[in-house]
Amino acid sequence: MSKRIAVLVFPGTNSEDETTRLLRDCGGDAHLVHWSRAQTLPSYDAYVLPGGFAYEDRIRAGAIAAHDAAMDHVIAAAQEGKLVLGICNGAQILLEAGLVPGTGEIRRPTAAFTKNAPAPHFVCAHVHVKLRVDPTRSAMTAALPRDAVIPAWTANGEGRLAASAEHLHELEAGSHVAFVYAHEDGSVDDSASPNQSALGVAGLVNREGNVLALMPHPERDAWTFNHPDRRRGDAMLATSGGAVFFRSFVEALQRT
Amino acid sequence: MNRAVAINLKIPDNAAYTALVTLRRLGIHVMRVERSEIVRFANAPEPRTLAAAVEADESLYNPNKHRVTVLDDDAPRSGEVWIVQDDADRPVGWRLYSAPGVPAGPDVLAQAAERLLCNPAIERAIFSK
Repeated sequence: MSKRIAVLVFPGTNSEDETTRLLRDCGGDAHLVHWSRAQTLPSYDAYVLPGGFAYEDRIRAGAIAAHDAAMDHVIAAAQEGKLVLGICNGAQILLEAGLVPGTGEIRRPTAAFTKNAPAPHFVCAHVHVKLRVDPTRSAMTAALPRDAVIPAWTANGEGRLAASAEHLHELEAGSHVAFVYAHEDGSVDDSASPNQSALGVAGLVNREGNVLALMPHPERDAWTFNHPDRRRGDAMLATSGGAVFFRSFVEALQRT
Repeated sequence: MNRAVAINLKIPDNAAYTALVTLRRLGIHVMRVERSEIVRFANAPEPRTLAAAVEADESLYNPNKHRVTVLDDDAPRSGEVWIVQDDADRPVGWRLYSAPGVPAGPDVLAQAAERLLCNPAIERAIFSK
């Protein structure tokens, strides 16, 4: 029996369609689950929180969704060891929920993806993220090569990681920095980050490796029609695009 | 003299209502939530002149949806917490009421800030004295 993936939709989520399509194109059995159907969530095997502006980012990005009843189930599932992936606003929700980096209490965040710098503007840019940890650090990255570089689009006004010096040290020491911004050739320097994210962070993983928060969107650079190479073809997955990460996620789920 | 003004919506404030619902979901007893943008002024004129100046600034005030209140002090009012992300920013004032016309007490305010309104990684809370 195939493992089922719930793609959560909160009021204001806007990336659920391409996320679900890419999961399916990568072999996953993905289903949209609206927040009002939260009671069905325990029957799923993995959870993906897509991008958007859940609850209009009221109070702070991700703050209200992190306290939604749907997240009660996601938190419980994460604590059982099920896979949870958050992309962009989904990543912000996971930080607000305290699931990532998971170094504090649940729903007591120790870090945030917040206003971009140097100017607090919306940034829409093609970026590359580099796997910063051993691929086996998380089941979701286990099928990626070491130092994998994945193309993606960053599209947010609040994607810069911020935390106290103490908590940033904790992220480094605990190998929570799963992905950093990088250049296409894999080199990493300050200019690779579009928003001055602390430690160059593009993605964080929890201690157990089953919850991953990724700010840029790999699903927006996945098919030939939205990959910069723009090879001819019929809606085929671009081999060098963000689908490699989604494939790794689906493979991880099939292994569990 | 330093003064602060609170600019809030006179039309329904969805963000304040969502905060109210979420605080109740967290078991924090609140009856009403008001949200304001707080603008602080150094060497401010007397309140009526200050209010008129704010109301003349279209980047701050829209007469169709905003209400301006000049605060007695450059500090949160009773039942209010200011959340500030960095010192250059304007605080957001959250004023909580536990009953009609009764501002929430310090314990409720502290709980609300700690559990929802303030992310200490990026924000700090300034409470009423």
